Amino acid sequence: MDIFLQQLANGLTIGSMFALVALGYTMVYGVMRLINFAHGDMVAASAFVGLTIYTQVMGQAASLLAVIVIFLLTAVAMACVGIILERIAYRPLREAPRLSAVVSALGASLVIQNGIMLIWGPQMRIFPELVPQISWDLGGVVISLIQVIILVLSLVLMVALYLFVEKTRIGAAIRASSIDQDAARLMGINVNSIIALIFIIGSSLGAVGGLFIGLYYRGITFNMGWQYGLYAFVAAIIGGIGNIPGAMLGGMLLGLFNAFIAGYVSSTWSDAFTFILLIIILIVRPTGILGERVAEKV
Amino acid sequence: MKELQRFGYPIFFVVMAILPHLLNSRWQAVAITFLIFAVVALSQDIVLGKSGMFNMGQALFFGIGAYTTAILNSQFGWPILATIPLAILIPAVFGVLLAGPIVHLRGDYLLVTTIGFNIVFVQVVQNNLGGVTGGPNGIFGLDSLSFFGTDLISQVSVYYFAFAVLMLTLWIMRNLEGSKPGRALHYLREDQLAAESIGINTRIYKIFAFALGAGIAGLAGTVFVVQYSAVSPEAFNFIQSVLFFSIVIVGGSSVPGVLIGVFVMFVLPEIFREFATWRFFIFGFAMIAAMILRPRGIIPATFGKIPKFLIKESNHGA
Repeated sequence: MDIFLQQLANGLTIGSMFALVALGYTMVYGVMRLINFAHGDMVAASAFVGLTIYTQVMGQAASLLAVIVIFLLTAVAMACVGIILERIAYRPLREAPRLSAVVSALGASLVIQNGIMLIWGPQMRIFPELVPQISWDLGGVVISLIQVIILVLSLVLMVALYLFVEKTRIGAAIRASSIDQDAARLMGINVNSIIALIFIIGSSLGAVGGLFIGLYYRGITFNMGWQYGLYAFVAAIIGGIGNIPGAMLGGMLLGLFNAFIAGYVSSTWSDAFTFILLIIILIVRPTGILGERVAEKV
Repeated sequence: MKELQRFGYPIFFVVMAILPHLLNSRWQAVAITFLIFAVVALSQDIVLGKSGMFNMGQALFFGIGAYTTAILNSQFGWPILATIPLAILIPAVFGVLLAGPIVHLRGDYLLVTTIGFNIVFVQVVQNNLGGVTGGPNGIFGLDSLSFFGTDLISQVSVYYFAFAVLMLTLWIMRNLEGSKPGRALHYLREDQLAAESIGINTRIYKIFAFALGAGIAGLAGTVFVVQYSAVSPEAFNFIQSVLFFSIVIVGGSSVPGVLIGVFVMFVLPEIFREFATWRFFIFGFAMIAAMILRPRGIIPATFGKIPKFLIKESNHGA
């Protein structure tokens, strides 16, 4: 039972990181029908940007204020990168065949990933210990402060995003653009601004996810974006890509699944089990758990 | 385009036929690499370009072929040439078994599922399932090519073996284009619903395309084993699949386009070795630029003998 509760806690932590990153994939996909392969590398980049802000700008201070500033600055920096990425790599290809945009996204992914390597070097870097290492032993289950912070902050961000998309006028514009861009344009919605906004939100959430990955796992490498990005992308697909609550659900499910596989089977098989789960879910529900059953019209 | 076909191909074949005699051994090895990856990229083109299925796991079948040859040679002592039938058949069977349940998936879902197959395969060989794959180090020290008792160790003979495989692949692709399955694949790529409504069994043909692509990639795997006398999991990981995928799309899914793509991706880095760390950074920009400037690929494929006035400036879509 202890191992179950321990892996439940770990799984919720990992799952909330997956969910934050998955939201970036799913929001871009919802509006543009494009798999933003560069998103995972943006997540990796944000961990390195956070590291540099900590050492260069904040002078290695680790107070609460410093942590908040690091999170805000990283999110702003990655939002800018997201807008630039959309302008350069995706906007010119909106009317092009879909696979051209996919290859452009893969190219952007290579650029960012190898840009990180050229700037910060190919070796693993250690992320600073911004949060004091406090943990509580709750009858055999150890929960650390960082896990609590990750879980609570992720939930707050996800609820805020959900309310923003469902309850505000801009949120309605986002939903309208994802249903039909042309019709949205006819209703006076500036779809270009909506797409820019999507990239701002997705990249900032990804930045928070990247900083969490740095805080939780500590070791960060230039090519970790592929790995975490792929997992988050799988989470988005499991939940039904394009669906915002689906990404949150998929992230949590995948995190729990991974934690239980690591706890009960073996962590060397986690990739294989993750993708076997994905394939089974797609065979049973071809558009994910919360995905709508729509015919593809292209 | 016609002129290119009339003169381009004979010139290409003549140049490729005499090439190994003009190169030193290092460049012979590069040329062999080019031939191997050209075959895999063309097999990817059958699935992705010709049939329009978003397959991002072609390195899987390449790897299954290579591991089939390597395991039969190292564990059971089969000569390399004798493993060829199984190195084609086993990947093709895997192609049928894996594609069967997933070909009905929508484009992007198919893409991520094929990535998944590739990653599962790499993890299986890394974890040394069944104790025959050699784990993360792979299998090394394999036999060289031998033909009726004579060992063909020299690089030139390996080159001609690889060249013969490329010629065979090109011949299959040419025949495919003019044949019934080829036309069926073309229709279902253009419009699956219309293809179904004129009586094409899209499911069978999609699985067929996967199996054909897998068989050819498996044969390329055997050539890979002959060239390197070793296999290891990294050679077949999903980054390789991403490269093959990009080569086909950037090339425009035509034979010359794909060959140019393979040349740029695998031969140019050998020429500009001092830029090795910049390689993928530059490729990334090149991929974005190529797609923006030529959204349908460097040399877009044309199909069959449709009169020009019938082909409107249509958008091939996904």
